[in-house]
Amino acid sequence: MREEHGNVAPVMIAKGEDPGDVRTDVPYQLMTILSNLYPWMSDGKKIAVLTRRCDEKALAEIFKRGYFDRARIVQIGLACSKEQIAACRCSDPVPSTVDIGEPHAGVGSDALSEKLMNMSSEERLRFWIYQFRKCNKCFACTANCPVCFCDECVLEERTFVPERGVPPGMSFHLIRAYHLADKCIECGECERSCPAGIPLLTFRKLVAKDFRDMYKFSPGDDKNVSPLLTTLEGEALEGDECNEC
Amino acid sequence: MNVEHVLTTCPYCGTGCNFFLQVVDDRLIGVVPCKTDEISRGQLCIKGYNAHAFVQHPDRLKTPLVREHGELKQTSWEAALDLLAGEIKRIKEKYGPDSIAFLASAKCTNEENYLFQKLARAAVQTNNVDHCARLCHASTVTGLLYSFGSGAMTNTIPEFENADCIFVTGSNTLEAHPIIGARMLKALDRGAKIIVIDPRDTPLSRLAHIKLSQRPGSDIAWINGMIKVIIDEGLVDQDFVKTRTTDFDKLKDVVKDATPEKVESITGIKPAELAEVARVYAKADRAMIAYAMGVTQHSNGTNIVEALANLAMVTGHIGSESNGLNPLRGQCNVQGSCDSGGLPNLFPGYQRVDDEKARAKFEQAWDVKLPAKPGLTLTCAIKEAAVGKLKAMVIFGENIMMSDPDLGHVEDAIKELELLAVIDIFPTETSKFAHIVLPAACYAEKDGTFTNTDRAVRLIRKAVNPPGDAWPDWKIACELGKRLGAKGFDFSSPAEVMAEMATVTPIYGGIDHDRLDREVLRWPCPSKDHKGTRILHTQKFTKGLGTFAPVDHAPPAETPSDEYPFILTTGRNLFQYHTGTMTRRSSKLEREAPEPYVEMNKGDAKRLGISEGDRVSVSSRRGTINLKARVTERIIPGSIFIPFHYAEAAANRLTNAALDPESKIPEFKVCAADVQKG
Ligand code: SF4
Ligand code: SF4
Repeated sequence: MREEHGNVAPVMIAKGEDPGDVRTDVPYQLMTILSNLYPWMSDGKKIAVLTRRCDEKALAEIFKRGYFDRARIVQIGLACSKEQIAACRCSDPVPSTVDIGEPHAGVGSDALSEKLMNMSSEERLRFWIYQFRKCNKCFACTANCPVCFCDECVLEERTFVPERGVPPGMSFHLIRAYHLADKCIECGECERSCPAGIPLLTFRKLVAKDFRDMYKFSPGDDKNVSPLLTTLEGEALEGDECNEC
Repeated sequence: MNVEHVLTTCPYCGTGCNFFLQVVDDRLIGVVPCKTDEISRGQLCIKGYNAHAFVQHPDRLKTPLVREHGELKQTSWEAALDLLAGEIKRIKEKYGPDSIAFLASAKCTNEENYLFQKLARAAVQTNNVDHCARLCHASTVTGLLYSFGSGAMTNTIPEFENADCIFVTGSNTLEAHPIIGARMLKALDRGAKIIVIDPRDTPLSRLAHIKLSQRPGSDIAWINGMIKVIIDEGLVDQDFVKTRTTDFDKLKDVVKDATPEKVESITGIKPAELAEVARVYAKADRAMIAYAMGVTQHSNGTNIVEALANLAMVTGHIGSESNGLNPLRGQCNVQGSCDSGGLPNLFPGYQRVDDEKARAKFEQAWDVKLPAKPGLTLTCAIKEAAVGKLKAMVIFGENIMMSDPDLGHVEDAIKELELLAVIDIFPTETSKFAHIVLPAACYAEKDGTFTNTDRAVRLIRKAVNPPGDAWPDWKIACELGKRLGAKGFDFSSPAEVMAEMATVTPIYGGIDHDRLDREVLRWPCPSKDHKGTRILHTQKFTKGLGTFAPVDHAPPAETPSDEYPFILTTGRNLFQYHTGTMTRRSSKLEREAPEPYVEMNKGDAKRLGISEGDRVSVSSRRGTINLKARVTERIIPGSIFIPFHYAEAAANRLTNAALDPESKIPEFKVCAADVQKG
């Protein structure tokens, strides 16, 4: 990222080019930005990318599915600032190699998750219904997501999400949560880019907790295969997911 | 390989979100929100995320076209421009300059609109220049000029977030201005009260604390009713009224008669509910009104706007942080195209053409004699064309064969023209009738500025080259100006045009592209060291004292009859935009809302034996269209709603071209209609 036009912009520069006023404090979702660009970058050259811990996990999910050629990607590890860690309620903020920044500890708790878990289930449902009624179907939560990969998005399929309807209804959000259950690496980009201010990261944290408790699985490590991607005998499935649905 | 992220301004609604266009080797591949932008804060609506999709569409116009033996044939720029200039000169000589009209465009930049009006005024000597603001907020401009002296949003978009009460009427904010709606949702989360008064249910009204439905066309009655409650219950801001305004007595006189019973009989709103709304609004610390076309598009639109201005002034909810009256402007640059003088009675910066001093200033600046008589409005130009008085129209980026009321009449009118020239990015319903069609560059292919609804002047930056031989409109205007033999069209960049515009437009006096490249500036910005103005009317109103207008309820031009028992209102949906030229070519947007439909109330539908998804025909005194029925409880009985995006069932075949006498805005929001199955 660098400073331009009184703003901070994501940039891609060629080797030897002057990087300008580099900034690392604005949380652009660089893996999403790179995923958009990658299919067009057919020259086979190496790509270096600023990598926070969440980006590193996103990359692992991307590599695992063969979307990027591992040999082309050079990671520049960035340790997030205390402020950013607090804003993201991030429990796991330090990348495996730190090239830029000072490592800081993560935050263990999410106040809203705790508040919600202390509510009755009816209250909790009411809370989420209010939140989702604000949804404006901008698709920011999928467009900016670094691990939303499917070519044909089920949210665009008419069976579950009728056309036009604003707000789009509960199924929109439940399908999204389910589809990301074994991929979401909790970067929080959906929540940051949601114009309705829906606490999507908290929603995710609650789903992830169940997933951890039930399957002992957390995404973001390219050696672990998702339990949703195994055969009934427990063996890893071959190839891409989501081609059918 | 070259990868760029080019910061620019959204080409859809007037919110003016900034984002990055992702470009790989002159190919536009996507949109990335800009996290540090003050207005959008890294958030966009679905249209913003898809703003790249139509740009490199194969349907783009790529070469100049000229009609020969009934068919449009490709030609060179030289030939097309020579022909256009020649025709304009011929018609001007034969019928006089006022037989020619120019349409500027709310989709073009300030610089371009400045050139379009200069073309009409300085090169052709006519004030016949107007644009689609006539169809959306003309009544805001006339109404608020009378009440306050300035017809723009009094506050800024971020301020919505800090209001305690947000009063929305005639605006489907979450669909039409989603990122302004996002600020309202933030306020809601904080505990602010949201009040919506609208005949339709909207995504925002469903979240509001109080939602009231009035009969379409009854707005002044309920607004006056509210003011009466405020006066009767002693909720008037006496200090404000005494020191900042005039003519309060006249207002008191008219609202005296707005008794709860009378108001209920006109509007259908229950007295207790209206009183509650009046109290919540009047008592709030910081209260903002937001309104849009539901208010303005009436044959008494100017009066409705003035009534809202009265409401803001009696309660003193104007002229300070999160207190004000806010018309939400529809197009990306409709504010700017008004600012830059794309209006028949006003030079750039709202200086009157019939004011001798203003005219003398422009005559000196442009070194040419200028006409004093205000020109034709868009709506009147079409009427004049129909009777053969207007002979030529040069249209920059507007699609009047979709956007104007009573399309049958528009079609008859433009067929009468000796010259119809259309400059656009795609072939449109209007260009089908043109004699000359010129291909233009779109927002992603040129530099310039848009002024958003909160008066922020925002740069658009060239990201890719235009397709084929297309030119930016500013260059087309300059070349045409030169061919018409006019001085002052030798510009080599939009920045130079803005530099000239700033010298003659006091509210833009301190604005230049260099400053805009670094900071957000809102007009008035009179000098280079001025930081721009966030809130209007803080110490005094632009005109001095705010003026109460004693306006009273009048029925709409057309009321339901036995033959046409429904009230038809028109508007937008979230996914499509206006005449659909751009959005219908964006696959993700078209996928969400591919088909025209009419919304009708469940009870009405049942009575007529119509169920969800049935084909129906809707007719008015002017025409008939066929489309699908969408049966809902979200519209009050007796009313129907049709979005106006779809050429295959163009809502404006039905609408009434009855005009507001002052602003000449048509009554898009009320006409009598009938629905039949099949
Ligand atoms: S980002 Fe928010 S508003 Fe947009 S679709 Fe997702 S949940 Fe809805
Ligand atoms: S809210 Fe308006 S300006 Fe912002 S992205 Fe949507 S259409 Fe564009």
